[in-house]
Amino acid sequence: MSMPRLLFEIGCEELPAAACMEAGLQLPELAREHLGAQTLELFIGPRRLAFPVDVPERTADEWIKGPPENLREKAAAGFAKKHGVTVDDLTLRDGSLGIEVAGRPIAEVLPERLAAIVKGLQFGKSMDWGAGFRFARPVRWLCAKLEDQTIEVALEHVPSGGFSYGHRQTHPGPVEIPNAYGYLDALRAVGVEPDRAVRYQQICEGLDALGSWGDPLDKLDEVVYLVERPRVQEGSFDERFLRLPERVIVQTMQSHQRYFPLGANRFAFVANGGDPAVVRAGNEFVLRGRLEDAEFTFERDVAVGIEELAKRLESITYLKGAGSFADKAQRLVDTVRKLGGDEQAVEAARLAKADQASELVREFSELEGHIGATYAKLAGQPEEVTRAIDEQYLPDSAGAPIPATVAGRILAAADKLDHLVTAFDLGHAPTGSRDPYALRRAAIGLNRLALEGDVAVQRDQLGAAQDFVEDRLEGLLDVPVEFVRAARTSTVPDLGGVARLAQSLHAAEHTPEFEAVHTAYERAHRLAGKAEAEAAPRLDDTLLEEGAERELAQALQGAQIDGLGAAAQLAPHVNRYFDEVLVMADDDKLRANRLRLLLDVRDALGRLGDFSLIPR
Amino acid sequence: MARRTYQDIILALEQYWADYGCALMTPYHTEVAAGTMNPATLLRSLGPKPWQTGYLEPVIRPLDGRYGENPMRFQHYFQYQVLLKPTPDNVLELYLDSLRAMGLETEKHDIRFVEDDWEQPTVGAWGLGWEVWADGMEITQFTYFQQVAGMELDLIPAEITYGLDRLAMVIQEKPTVFDLEWAPGITWGDVFKENERQWSHYNFEDADVDMLMRHFEDYEREARHLIERDLPLPAYDMILKANHAFNLLDARGAISVTERAAYIGRVRNLVREVGKLYLEQQQEAGEHAAAAV
Repeated sequence: MSMPRLLFEIGCEELPAAACMEAGLQLPELAREHLGAQTLELFIGPRRLAFPVDVPERTADEWIKGPPENLREKAAAGFAKKHGVTVDDLTLRDGSLGIEVAGRPIAEVLPERLAAIVKGLQFGKSMDWGAGFRFARPVRWLCAKLEDQTIEVALEHVPSGGFSYGHRQTHPGPVEIPNAYGYLDALRAVGVEPDRAVRYQQICEGLDALGSWGDPLDKLDEVVYLVERPRVQEGSFDERFLRLPERVIVQTMQSHQRYFPLGANRFAFVANGGDPAVVRAGNEFVLRGRLEDAEFTFERDVAVGIEELAKRLESITYLKGAGSFADKAQRLVDTVRKLGGDEQAVEAARLAKADQASELVREFSELEGHIGATYAKLAGQPEEVTRAIDEQYLPDSAGAPIPATVAGRILAAADKLDHLVTAFDLGHAPTGSRDPYALRRAAIGLNRLALEGDVAVQRDQLGAAQDFVEDRLEGLLDVPVEFVRAARTSTVPDLGGVARLAQSLHAAEHTPEFEAVHTAYERAHRLAGKAEAEAAPRLDDTLLEEGAERELAQALQGAQIDGLGAAAQLAPHVNRYFDEVLVMADDDKLRANRLRLLLDVRDALGRLGDFSLIPR
Repeated sequence: MARRTYQDIILALEQYWADYGCALMTPYHTEVAAGTMNPATLLRSLGPKPWQTGYLEPVIRPLDGRYGENPMRFQHYFQYQVLLKPTPDNVLELYLDSLRAMGLETEKHDIRFVEDDWEQPTVGAWGLGWEVWADGMEITQFTYFQQVAGMELDLIPAEITYGLDRLAMVIQEKPTVFDLEWAPGITWGDVFKENERQWSHYNFEDADVDMLMRHFEDYEREARHLIERDLPLPAYDMILKANHAFNLLDARGAISVTERAAYIGRVRNLVREVGKLYLEQQQEAGEHAAAAV
């Protein structure tokens, strides 16, 4: 038996792109839940959410469970009455009474079930407009066709019928949807492409036809939900604006206007209607206005100059309690020096925050750093300095690259280090999911700079933020957390070293060296760790009686524990010691000295981390 | 027909919304930073009484002045404000018709409704809606209020705020606001350019910071006093005056980032109290009216 086709369309005022995506994810599940069927396709766009689906002709027969049979006298009458039948109509199943309810023709239940689908959609941001339910934007019509039958959806305040509406500008009136199969044709005839995939393809083809295009801020996925009938057009702007930082131009085009840069002074945009010549002129005009605005601000900044901007930092607060941005810049200079930065890195640090006093950063806050770098370049600073200024905020997200230059890495590390230490000193440690100062991102960035960028960040420079920063290594490194925790207890002085130690311990986990060191550490720790109070304060060579003792003490004195290989060389001496020497001797002095030797062994091996944290 | 002047555009909007049934109001008599701040929108959004209005509003935003040197930024410009409470189902069609009534040939332009969620923390208000684009230019802010003065709303109003300068640029096809024809033979620049220069000087350089600080405190105190006296309407005017003093202080660079939030919080608290009192009085009046029937 073939199943009847249903077409359902929810007509809306212009939905945000995010709402379109949310609806696209939920509609298949809602259709399964309320219609018992799979959506065949989804047609998602700014003014309509629609789908065709093949539904069963009748709903399934049901058996409604009532009271147990032994309560027939007491409860059956009430149950039967509630469902509009008599007690004699009740049937018995598995010891309970109940009623058979025959399935109903699907057309009878669709009004309620389609209403439930509309109300079932959940949006991250939804609104009230007086219709008694919430949606991303007002729902203005519903269209439902079961084969060629119109279904009136039972949703108050929203008109429902066999009509949709065409393109807002060219075909604003109602358009009849003849049956559940004729939806796409009917809408395409009134200037609407309901299928997102088709619109996407049309836009890509249109862009390709204009040459190589860019979308650095990922606007295409949004633009496809901003239009019902895409028309890709080209525009251009006066070449004099190319003097502006390129990223300012790109940001202006993409973030504000959703244009696609075509290189040089050309751009593409996606229109939804209107006279192409008028629309192009209008868009070019708007972009010119925005670029003029940026240019006006840019020229004012350039006239001031980066040195003067740097001076103005004195009057801008960085964090309340942590001085001005000028103080911050001075700290950055000191920190960059401590991190081994050369004179160019120091110069970059001195000017790194100057753009915080610029007008252009006030308008394009995402471009801080880049704008400062541009101004530094115009002031004649060498490329090493300007690139470091440009890269100081990297990495700014999980997948982002670290700075390409050494000076950039050192400056970026200094910036994050200062931010973390300052914020922790002021008591701004993140609590739960609240992290208003973005300290997690800073800590992860700092670890990556130390590990991937070889910046020698000393752990004792981290101050109150040390644990917080090192905690982030656990998620960052692709090794089990036990190895990170063990490495953190090592005496390795720098952050990158801790990370590398964790990695090398993990990589060596199944080698004989690791096994030997782990065993030696564990034996020494288990025995002597508990008796630490009894151990002598320092080893007394004159009390070393047995050969194995002297041999171990000697090996320990000459050992340079800088890696697993060196540590593993101690292991046979430890084993012999355990085999041949009675640690818990009756003589107090001997016992204390032997315990001390074991503790020294443990601490020497422990320079590589607390092996007892790594389960075997 | 001949190209419409700026004043023709204003008159066309007035006529259109009057014909629709709006009560036309006038610009407010003290400085406001947006048509929304006019009590005809802000206070009338509250409560269960339907209300439809339209009015021209010169908005005063000291920080946005550019000495008349920037063709797109001004410390004084014009909005046309419409509030429809409750929202009619065909509100977007009404809006598009109003564009045509102003002389904008909508079929020639790419008119788009681009998501824009509006928020005005100073008056404890937010809503969802769009910025309306004509060929990529923002010509209108359209918002379904969801909260005003920190309170949920009995009837959801639609607020339509036309950016008249930009609309006029599209309609008259002029490259800058200065070039707009205000009246036959008179440009926008003739009327307001020198105004922009002088006021920008005042706002950025000459406004007396100590005096403005005192004004803020005085108007805030007066607003509080009037709230205690159950007089929310004059109290609201005092808040507007305090807020304008704050905006001037902001332009003078006299308010740090941290202080800024505190000032906004003080204004918001007052607006909330006035809104609450206004609503209580509306409800009492409603009950009296019901009792009289």
